[in-house]
Amino acid sequence: MDTLAHLMTGLTAALSLQNLTFALIGCMLGTLIGVLPGLGPAAGTAILIPLTFKLDPTGALIMLSAIYYGAMYGGTITSVLINVPGEAASVVTCIDGYQMAKQGRGGTALGIAAIGSFVGGIFATVALVVVAPPLAQVALKFGPPEFFALMLVGLCLITGLGGHSLLAGLAMAVLGLLIAMIGIDPVRGAPRFTFGIPSLYDGLGFIPVVMGLFGVAEILLAIQQPNRQIIRTNLASLLPSREEWRRSAGAIGRGTSIGFFLGLIPGVGAIIPTFVAYVFEKRLSKTPERFGQGAIEGVAAPESANNAYANAAMIPLLTLGIPSSPTIAVLMGAFIINGLTPGPFLFQERPDLVWAVIASFFLGNILLLVLNLPFVGLWARILHLPYPYVCAGTLTFCVIGAYSLQQNVFDIYVMIACGIIGYGMRRIDMPIAPLVLGLILGPFLEKSLRTSLEMSAGDFSIFFTRPLCLTLLVLAAVVLIVSALRLAPRELREAST
Amino acid sequence: MPTSESKAAKRGWQIACLCLLAIFLPALVTSFGYSLTDALGPGAGFFPFWLSLVGAVLSAAILVQVTLAKAAESAADEHAPDRSPALQALGMLVALAAAAALFEPLGYRLTMLPFIAAVLVILGARSPVAIALTALAGSFGVFHVFYHWLKVPLPIGELGL
Repeated sequence: MDTLAHLMTGLTAALSLQNLTFALIGCMLGTLIGVLPGLGPAAGTAILIPLTFKLDPTGALIMLSAIYYGAMYGGTITSVLINVPGEAASVVTCIDGYQMAKQGRGGTALGIAAIGSFVGGIFATVALVVVAPPLAQVALKFGPPEFFALMLVGLCLITGLGGHSLLAGLAMAVLGLLIAMIGIDPVRGAPRFTFGIPSLYDGLGFIPVVMGLFGVAEILLAIQQPNRQIIRTNLASLLPSREEWRRSAGAIGRGTSIGFFLGLIPGVGAIIPTFVAYVFEKRLSKTPERFGQGAIEGVAAPESANNAYANAAMIPLLTLGIPSSPTIAVLMGAFIINGLTPGPFLFQERPDLVWAVIASFFLGNILLLVLNLPFVGLWARILHLPYPYVCAGTLTFCVIGAYSLQQNVFDIYVMIACGIIGYGMRRIDMPIAPLVLGLILGPFLEKSLRTSLEMSAGDFSIFFTRPLCLTLLVLAAVVLIVSALRLAPRELREAST
Repeated sequence: MPTSESKAAKRGWQIACLCLLAIFLPALVTSFGYSLTDALGPGAGFFPFWLSLVGAVLSAAILVQVTLAKAAESAADEHAPDRSPALQALGMLVALAAAAALFEPLGYRLTMLPFIAAVLVILGARSPVAIALTALAGSFGVFHVFYHWLKVPLPIGELGL
């Protein structure tokens, strides 16, 4: 009953004209970002954070969440129309979506993608409402050692399931954690790695680093890609035929379930649920040869999985304070900028905010459906926007975002440097996600480790004598061993590479 | 990580590992300067020390692994990369650095006006009208929206703009 009452309060707040407008703007901007090839959800969410600087925290987080799942859907449009995913999770949609567009069924592909995304998003949000409060209650019983172990599990999952070399993933996670150490030591107040530079006393800003690694780096990469050909297809007929409905219904249900459950696991990433949903559907089909030739299930299943994942991934963030992906890490950064720490205490300290944000997910999914079905032709037209103008716009937002948080030009230089580093990392396929996760979790990880050791007067056995903590540490070790031995299911590994 | 990939990829990984070592090893030395332990338990240098150590070991391990891996000849090694996109990227970065340097002395509007125009020209935009309109919108227009409507503090330069 409590949950329902909280949800109703949240819904009332989310339905206020102001918050509804923020959700609408967020959905539109998110879809726009998803539509523009080269700008993923992480970069898009990061570069649009400045828009929310002066909003109240609830409005800011509603808008940024809407940007996030809007971007997750927007990538579908480019996948179908130009065979280029607007973001990584839409890679699988290219396979059958583009074929459908070539056959003149582009409108139907986009229509079923919007409907599947809606079903996936709504289901995952309902599950979030049911699962989050009890999970947060359990997490409230965690002490610093358990939180340390939990964050370690999150980092290991992201490193291990990332699909890249385990050693490289670990090195990047450690680098992220080390960068997070720059600045004043939060426990003793001593400056670390500041080299007498006053701008470093507050540490390297998360937003300039993320804007560099994703925004600037993606532009540098995009410059080297050739122009894309936009396919001419029928966008007038968006609704599937009776036979297509019959084929899609099961696919949407299965895709939603897969996306939801994989969304609960930090580190799985957005691409894996879509790939697993696609492979599962193909194996289940009596006519698997249709896949790759324009099978509607090949669009319905991954798109449902994609949005179910996007919403389910909020559960570890809101209940445990563990971001599952770089985009969720950016959202976590937005929480922190607004003076809030995601995790179980947030449900106690700011239930008004948490439930308003959760309620806005329902509204956001409805808004996305409303925006995406009738206006699909408009989004398709945006694909014609010349890329130099997109780059110039993105860079403008990057400069504003990097500067305005602390009003420090130093942060623009940090962004440029991180852009060059991010570009280099992408060129050699070095994993960026563990670095970003390490960077955001670093201060929390260090604080919980040091508080734990202070509790035990420096005795490390505190981590091995508490059953839950020990279980989590064993889980972290198992994840690393499984990754090292490459025991992860073949589909998962193929999807993530 | 390259196992039997191109020589270029292998070289890239080797350079990346050396860069990582160039970060972790000095960090390791620097962290000795902070107290590893104190009366309350672990000190300010405890976490940085172990992170630097683990990071250095991991980087060295990757370097060895990459160096010992056989690199296959690939088409990418035989053809020189196209210079034009590389020059465009370099031009964009130089423009970005110049914008950062002039951001506070000139203010947002006077910095971003030529910056946006320069980026558009560098990236191949040719219509002078479109370039001028975009630069105006991105500098004066965006300033108005962020500074006056969204109350985001953007710099006003010495000329009052």
